[in-house]
Amino acid sequence: MATLEPRPTARSREPSAGALAVLLNLPAGVVLVLVLAWPVLYAGWLSLHEVSLRQLRSGELPFAGLANYARLFGDDVFWLSLRHTVVFVAVAVALEVVIGLAIALVIDDERVALSRLTRVLLLVPWGVPPVVNGLLWSFVFNAQYGYLNRALLAVGAIREPVNWLGDPTLAMGAVVTAYVWRTTPFNILLYHAGLRGIPRDCYEAAAVDGASGWARFWHISLPLLRPVIAVTLILRTTFAFMVFDEIFAITQGGPGNATWVAGWYTYRAAFQPPFNIGLGSASAWVMALILGAAALVYARLVGRRLEA
Amino acid sequence: MGRLSPLGRVGLWLANLAALAFLVLPLLPVVLGAVQSEKSLQADVRALLPRQTTLANFRLVLSGGATRGPIFEQVSYLPKSIERFPAAFLNSMVVAASVALLTLALAALSAYTVARLDIRWVRAVVSLSLVARLLPLIVLMVPLYVLFRRYGLLNSLSGVVLAEVGFLLPYAILILVPYFASLPGELEDAARIDGCTRFAAFWRIVLPLAAPGLAACATIVFILSWHELLIPLIVVSRPEAMTLPVVLAGLVSDYFVFFTLMMAICLLGLAPTLLLVLLLQKYVVRGLVAGALKG
Repeated sequence: MATLEPRPTARSREPSAGALAVLLNLPAGVVLVLVLAWPVLYAGWLSLHEVSLRQLRSGELPFAGLANYARLFGDDVFWLSLRHTVVFVAVAVALEVVIGLAIALVIDDERVALSRLTRVLLLVPWGVPPVVNGLLWSFVFNAQYGYLNRALLAVGAIREPVNWLGDPTLAMGAVVTAYVWRTTPFNILLYHAGLRGIPRDCYEAAAVDGASGWARFWHISLPLLRPVIAVTLILRTTFAFMVFDEIFAITQGGPGNATWVAGWYTYRAAFQPPFNIGLGSASAWVMALILGAAALVYARLVGRRLEA
Repeated sequence: MGRLSPLGRVGLWLANLAALAFLVLPLLPVVLGAVQSEKSLQADVRALLPRQTTLANFRLVLSGGATRGPIFEQVSYLPKSIERFPAAFLNSMVVAASVALLTLALAALSAYTVARLDIRWVRAVVSLSLVARLLPLIVLMVPLYVLFRRYGLLNSLSGVVLAEVGFLLPYAILILVPYFASLPGELEDAARIDGCTRFAAFWRIVLPLAAPGLAACATIVFILSWHELLIPLIVVSRPEAMTLPVVLAGLVSDYFVFFTLMMAICLLGLAPTLLLVLLLQKYVVRGLVAGALKG
């Protein structure tokens, strides 16, 4: 006798959407807890203990209370590094935004054939590994054999070679230049995408009304790009705050302390003699708290789009 | 937009030339440095072009210091980085490929649940990823060093891979979510009506349709892994497990600097990701935009 019951299919045995979501998020969740969440909390724990190589060897980490933080806030070099970081971030981010906008506007105008080549080569600096970028600019800025001095001597802008990396201000300028060169393409790309999203009719209507190119940029492009600019400001500020590779490869914090920044301070504290990992953790946590604020703003900005 | 006046045309050409100069001119010293001998570089400190060009630097680096040729015959000291280059290049390939594949697999599963399953708590995955993406790497590396030391993961490529997967995973999720969200839901619905399970619909319908997004994500993660210095610098101290950026960083503290050799190594080190960026530009561009703006 034939039954009317449907054959058990894969469908009838499938987990609910909720169960599936748990299952599919499990692998990423495990990795994120093990490699991100736990270490970050553990850094907080380490910052409250006395940790250097000796303690790591013995396995006993004595509780130190807020001693690491007291030492951190009492260290002039830490404050100096923070001040340098603020200067570095301000100058680098401003340049990234201005140069990024300028080049994005240039490539948005497709009326000359050359703009196609510019668009193709747009991401070249982004493709260069940061440490290679550092080495390449350390060669460019080298006082004896560098190409910047060669070029300036050739056009007669200077009479004698300049020791770019030997002067505190010039060295900071050199590091900013290298960093900005590598990171600006990311901004160009986002601004370019933003400009693409502006309907051409807007510009045409403005042109009919007799608006100049500058007026069109100021009254149409810039206001419509504001959300994209906000995102790049937060991303670039955060990433510039963590600058490490270029400092490592070009100046190693020198000359003197002139290019010590927060990331370099933390690295030096934890991983160079005397390997004070407790102090490094405290410094790292202070950085994380400063950047946490920026991250929350970013999450709100981009998150709002997702809801919409 | 209307036609350009002749003057506007010239202006736009010049603006493009300036942009091109900004984008590629800094790479010129790398090439000029890499194709000459140290003697030629030092002979005239005002010359822009090399007196004679040679490929000896590349031969030396690619052979790990074995092929010396006439230029390096008399040289008594060579940087350790030369000897370590071939193995480090291979290590970097292994690490970047593993990180790209693993991250892609984990991120695709999570991103699918965010984009396709309408569940409240899953939406928090995106917010968490946004915050995690802005976590300073150094905050992670100080405790990871202690943990890896305890669990025997220092000096191993698997330790490097694990740390990089964890660090890049939130970003990969951010890149993939908009791709999955932009796919038409009807195909998946049709598959479900035909008796597919949700997972089968994901596997057979959503994943193949999202191939461009997966390619973009994998390429970007590969590039970022190839570029990563701090993670392997802290995890690895044994030469056999060093990746390329660590070996390159070793050039900084050398007591004698050969700029020509340094530029040759740099050129070989930047070539893979520069080629990827140029060849897969379409994917990289879309992935970067999606990962930054669309959450």
